[in-house]
Amino acid sequence: MQFTFSEEQAMAAQALRELLDDVCSGADLRALADGAAGHGTARWERLAAMGLPGALAPEAAGGMALTATDFVLLAEEAGRAALPEPLVAHAGVAVPMLAELAAAAARGNVAQALEQAAAGATIVIVADPCEPFSAGLDCARRVLAGAGPEQVGLFARDELSVSLQASLDPLQPLARVGVPAHRASLLPDQPALARALWQRARLRATAFAAAELLGLAARMVEIAVNYAGERRQFGRPIGSNQAVKHQLATVQVQLEFARPVVYAAAAMLADACTAPPESPVPALTEARIAQARLAAGAAADLAARTAIQVHGAIGYSWELDLQFYAKRAWALGVRHGERGALARRVQQLLLGGIIEPGPDRLFLN
Amino acid sequence: MKLGFTPAEEAFRRECAAWLEAQLSGPFRAIRGATGLVACVEQRLAWERVLGRARWSVIGWPERYGGRDASLAEQVIFAEEYARAGAPGRMGHLGVELAGPTILHFGNDAQRERFLPKIAAGEEFWCQGYSEPNAGSDLAAVRTRARLEQGPRGAEWVIDGQKTWTSLAQFAQWIFTICRTEAGSRGPAGLSYLLVPMQQSGVTLRPIRQITGEEEFNEVFFDGARTPAEYCVGRPGDGWKVAMGTLAFERGVSTLAQQMRFRNEFEQLVAAARANGAARDPLIRQRIAEAWIGLRIMRYSALRMLSGGREGALPPEALTYKIYWATWRRRLGELAMDVLGPAAEIARAAPYEFDDLPRMFLASRSDTIYAGTNQIQRNIIAERALGLPKEPRGDR
Repeated sequence: MQFTFSEEQAMAAQALRELLDDVCSGADLRALADGAAGHGTARWERLAAMGLPGALAPEAAGGMALTATDFVLLAEEAGRAALPEPLVAHAGVAVPMLAELAAAAARGNVAQALEQAAAGATIVIVADPCEPFSAGLDCARRVLAGAGPEQVGLFARDELSVSLQASLDPLQPLARVGVPAHRASLLPDQPALARALWQRARLRATAFAAAELLGLAARMVEIAVNYAGERRQFGRPIGSNQAVKHQLATVQVQLEFARPVVYAAAAMLADACTAPPESPVPALTEARIAQARLAAGAAADLAARTAIQVHGAIGYSWELDLQFYAKRAWALGVRHGERGALARRVQQLLLGGIIEPGPDRLFLN
Repeated sequence: MKLGFTPAEEAFRRECAAWLEAQLSGPFRAIRGATGLVACVEQRLAWERVLGRARWSVIGWPERYGGRDASLAEQVIFAEEYARAGAPGRMGHLGVELAGPTILHFGNDAQRERFLPKIAAGEEFWCQGYSEPNAGSDLAAVRTRARLEQGPRGAEWVIDGQKTWTSLAQFAQWIFTICRTEAGSRGPAGLSYLLVPMQQSGVTLRPIRQITGEEEFNEVFFDGARTPAEYCVGRPGDGWKVAMGTLAFERGVSTLAQQMRFRNEFEQLVAAARANGAARDPLIRQRIAEAWIGLRIMRYSALRMLSGGREGALPPEALTYKIYWATWRRRLGELAMDVLGPAAEIARAAPYEFDDLPRMFLASRSDTIYAGTNQIQRNIIAERALGLPKEPRGDR
């Protein structure tokens, strides 16, 4: 039992934080939102230089062969910066799926695409056929998509019908993705495997979204704490009022209790991913990931709401960078399954007889 | 205690409804249901003038100023029918609900004659100049200064300073504002309540964009702006008392119209939940029921609050009203997002324009902030209604 991160894991996260402080500041986000700057290819190149696009890719494909436990802190940092480019969707979700697909389908072009993706030379995202919208299509050149959950294909973005639409998060447009019906699946005879790959992709997306939400929540608390310390009303900093400081303390409690749930989910995800893709993901792992996403989503939502409230009127102005973090949190909060569906995962675990509730069972993994 | 209406009042209801229907299925069809503060401006300004000519704009005011001397029951009925008909949000509401009642109760006859008929007629629009960059929750920290000067047109106030979060300033001919008129004074003392024309070289505006993407607010800069000495409401130096009176009107009959808007939003939400199947989710159903209960509670408490009020004053329970509706509507916004699910994320139009419900969610984040944050409201309830000791201050 070791519920801490290694020095290397923490250092990688710290390095990413420093990079993003440098190239993904509030001012950078504003320039992108206001159309004064395009997507940061320079930013992506810096991330690629750290090897991050291939973090989870096998070494043979030029990747770093890290696990979900290693990646969870990196996803948290991406969230913390409200990174507009789809690093988490690419490195955390699409690249591992490409690797699984390359192993199963043994096609040269998939292996080649994996190498390019691992190097960060092309951005790949997953367009889950069970989700109405996908993010990242403003940056991606390749897309893993399927006409249904039993089909998997690797497409150039231009081969798909993609209609980008402005969304709640001004930094991430969404798109409905239409897949050409005539294109055969890369796994034509293995619909069950296709389903399993989509499920794994969804679990990774959910778990890493939870990590991003943690980072977003922490960032918003930080912004609000700074403001509450500076802004003076009635002759003293507003943060000296219990009405203000208790609100922020409440968010901090929720955030710190979400954190270990997300980390545990990442560790279980890493374990599950060592099994061959066709073997089913344990229901407990699924439930733990759902729980992590619920906990982190609740913390980030509360952080967003509280940070706006603490800022007062300026909190709902476009001019404040806070909106970028709040809107990312709200946007992530409605993706990868709505709250009711996620809660049902947890509920099925208990009421569906998968584990028997009871004090003697509480600590059975 | 009487919850229903008399036959005469029901007849009045039919009269209101018939007039509204004729207008809104006829010449003003295009603005039926218009919400938001800044949509379809020209037609809505025209609508204000039509309301004024037909004497439906300010029915509770005295007849001589353009009203109907309507009873409270009649005002309730009109507010209900106005919302039921889907009549547009009032562009004139800052004049009709705040400036007008303030001038009526605290102004002198000359001011009433000068300003009230133009408000009632929809010919002059108003905005509110209270908040400043450093005077938000601490409203009495006003720094905008005004001094009396003899000019070619007689004695005038000359105003320098900055106001912020001023809604509808871009359409207003007048601003009611509090300024420091006694040099060296601090806090609520030494403030005066001035009525200032907007169209002059000493007044400039800068729009403020909100998280909804809309520009409803403005910064207002006074740089040697002028207004006649006699456009001070109440005595010079008594501005704080008048300003607090205005805030009480914010919780007056206008709350009924606001509730009807809430009801429209609620019904939109229920329709969306039926349409996309969210209404089958037991958790959503429960929250919809809770929202409805909150709406009924607000209606009853508003009726109680209005019935118990005296002229220009509200009973103590009115102190609890702002925090209740603000919190309720903010929760309605959250429910709307959960009802819509991923579809809530998609903008209706680029760059950043949303359908009513997602926009309501974003806009509702401001409800617990403007006109006194929830934290300030709780302090007011604790200190004024319950008599608890005052929160310590850092400055006096």
